[in-house]
Amino acid sequence: MSVLTLNNICFSYGKTPVLKDLSLDFEKGKMYCIMGKSGAGKTTLLSVLSGLASPDSGTILYNGKNIKKINKYNFRSKCIGVVFQSYNLITKFTALENVVLSMDIAKVKGIKKRERALEILSSVGLDSEEVNRRVLKLSGGQQQRVAIARALSHNPDIILADEPTGNLDGDTQNEIMQILRKLTQEGRCVILVSHSPQVASMCDQTYELVAQSKNK
Amino acid sequence: MYIIKNSFRCIGRSLGRNILIGIIVFVIAVSACIGLSIRQAAQNTKEETMSGMNITATISFDRQSMMGELNGSEGGFDKEQFAERIGETNDLSFSEYEKYAKAESVEDFYYSMTASFNGNDDFSPVSTDTESETDSDSDNKRPNVNFGGGFGGFGGFGGLGGKQMNNGDFTVIGYSSDAAMTDFVRGTATITKGSVFEEGTKVYDCIISEELATYNDLGIGRAIKLTNPNDEDEEYTLYVVGIYKDSSSNDGFQRAPGSDPANKIYMSATALESIIAASEKVSTTVTDETTGREYETAVTSSFSPTYVFSDVESYNNFEEEARNLGLDDSYKISSQDVSNFENSLVPLNTLSTMAGWFLIVILVIGAVILIVLNIFNVRERKYEIGVLMAIGMKKINVAKQFLIEAFAITLVAVMLGVVIGGVSSVPVTNALLENQIASAQSESVKVEENFGRGERPNLPSGNFGGGSMTPPDNGNFKGIENMFGEKAANYVSEINSAMNFTVVLQMLGIAVLLTIVAGGVGVLFVMRYDPLKILANRD
Repeated sequence: MSVLTLNNICFSYGKTPVLKDLSLDFEKGKMYCIMGKSGAGKTTLLSVLSGLASPDSGTILYNGKNIKKINKYNFRSKCIGVVFQSYNLITKFTALENVVLSMDIAKVKGIKKRERALEILSSVGLDSEEVNRRVLKLSGGQQQRVAIARALSHNPDIILADEPTGNLDGDTQNEIMQILRKLTQEGRCVILVSHSPQVASMCDQTYELVAQSKNK
Repeated sequence: MYIIKNSFRCIGRSLGRNILIGIIVFVIAVSACIGLSIRQAAQNTKEETMSGMNITATISFDRQSMMGELNGSEGGFDKEQFAERIGETNDLSFSEYEKYAKAESVEDFYYSMTASFNGNDDFSPVSTDTESETDSDSDNKRPNVNFGGGFGGFGGFGGLGGKQMNNGDFTVIGYSSDAAMTDFVRGTATITKGSVFEEGTKVYDCIISEELATYNDLGIGRAIKLTNPNDEDEEYTLYVVGIYKDSSSNDGFQRAPGSDPANKIYMSATALESIIAASEKVSTTVTDETTGREYETAVTSSFSPTYVFSDVESYNNFEEEARNLGLDDSYKISSQDVSNFENSLVPLNTLSTMAGWFLIVILVIGAVILIVLNIFNVRERKYEIGVLMAIGMKKINVAKQFLIEAFAITLVAVMLGVVIGGVSSVPVTNALLENQIASAQSESVKVEENFGRGERPNLPSGNFGGGSMTPPDNGNFKGIENMFGEKAANYVSEINSAMNFTVVLQMLGIAVLLTIVAGGVGVLFVMRYDPLKILANRD
């Protein structure tokens, strides 16, 4: 079942077209990889999917509903979870505080947020000492785990991850991919942007973007 | 709720920067608090003292206004017209003064009468001029129209219209009630022997000064004889029932014995009225040999009414009421109490004005510094703002977080500022006030030195600084005597409390204002930010 559908999406920076008539379909329980050379529009696509950028034309449907009709802040805070390439964590906060803040913004109710955040952080491989450390004092891999935990904190249908393994060593790459793979098993749709064929091989489906948005 | 929690967490995580902002706000708050306290103290002192003091006022002929009118006419000041106008002006009668006393605003009414008499060989005035003792008659027979009261600062208007008021050896003052004897009420004059005559008595009892008693070897129970300066055959016998000492009186001799405070004789107004009435009965018309002018020989008197008001508002209402009751525009209502008290507030009011300007400057400079700091703060946290928006926090909530942070820091700093400012406002205000008064005094002394009067121990009351008012001791301030140790101007020199709920509320208002001004600029920046651009630039 399609959770996210792109119909004839066009996007340009000024007069420079980046995405042109792009139509894609993403289903729950599957992991997608978006590949392409630098400048092909991978991160732009991720921005459009996350609602940070609005396409010039075309429609994006979330569970069959045009996301223009959904408040963009609500869409970002409740429907999707984004793992940014450079993590984009609040550096003055601890790992735990970052995750709880995300739950606060999403107005998650009915659960004990702190316990739930600890549970998620534990599931991505951070121990109790690490979760109370400020993120600046964590390694790249640990920060990536915190970013994933934050993306998962409000239980979204879709996880968007930009180069989630880009800065990590081999072992950590595998661990992160295992975590993401596990999310698909829980019924989520995971969309990755990556250069790595190894990462692509671990996904259910790969889309390759080329200049002028020729999709494959 | 999470926004507030997040704000406080952010304050804690950037403690150094926030302490710096806090210190700046604290300094602004202390300065503002002292400035506001000074202004409040001036206001409180004025209001509380004004509400607590009985104000006395009098109605007197407005000669100055008439002269001003005549001076405006073509050809300069018209002396003839002035004399004519004065001649046409009728003295207010006692019944008229009484009519105005029935105005709603008047709490009490009393009056004094002043008349001039000569002595005789057995009873002579204190004087260095031996000639005047023996033959005062020839020297003193000169017409003297008495405007505005020349005796002891009374505001009467008398001696007009065909009567001649001669300066006799003695000034006899009749009081309608004990309250009218202000020197005794204030304590500047006290009875040393015997007692004051009965209030409202018709008996010719009187009290005389210690000097006069000593000079004439008089004691309690002795009779003194006074004669009409216009008719030496007209004699009245008064009985000394008390001897008083006036600490405010000048020890120096006056050229005219009648002007010497030592030669003042006090008695009941009723008794003096009876003397005047008796004199009018036997009065004849005579012609002045020098001027050729005809006049009545009856003893003339001037009349000085005093209206008492419970507060300033009543005093202010009185003028309108008196005008409605028919008081002519050529008469004015004035209060020495009000003008003296306003004079006493001059240094405090000056300080208050300076404090107001200081407050404005401090707030403007403080606001500019805070705006700059907040702009730096927001720009420094641009990335954090981008992240918060990217994970779904609404711009308005991010802005709220920044405002709450600014308000919390400002509020804490302002509260500390209020405490420190409140504690230090009284000593600071008093120190500034002291400087202000010293400055005013040195200015006056300089003026005196320019006149070659460096040391003047006996300055007549009322010549400098306007009167002899002593601010009532209501616990809020105390006065000091002015430059010559005399009763010239009693400046408010000390305040005991400056802070009150109003100042706290004003400080809270300042905190909100600073937050809005400083935080508002931050909010504008936040609202302009686009998370995609921020994160893209970061990447």
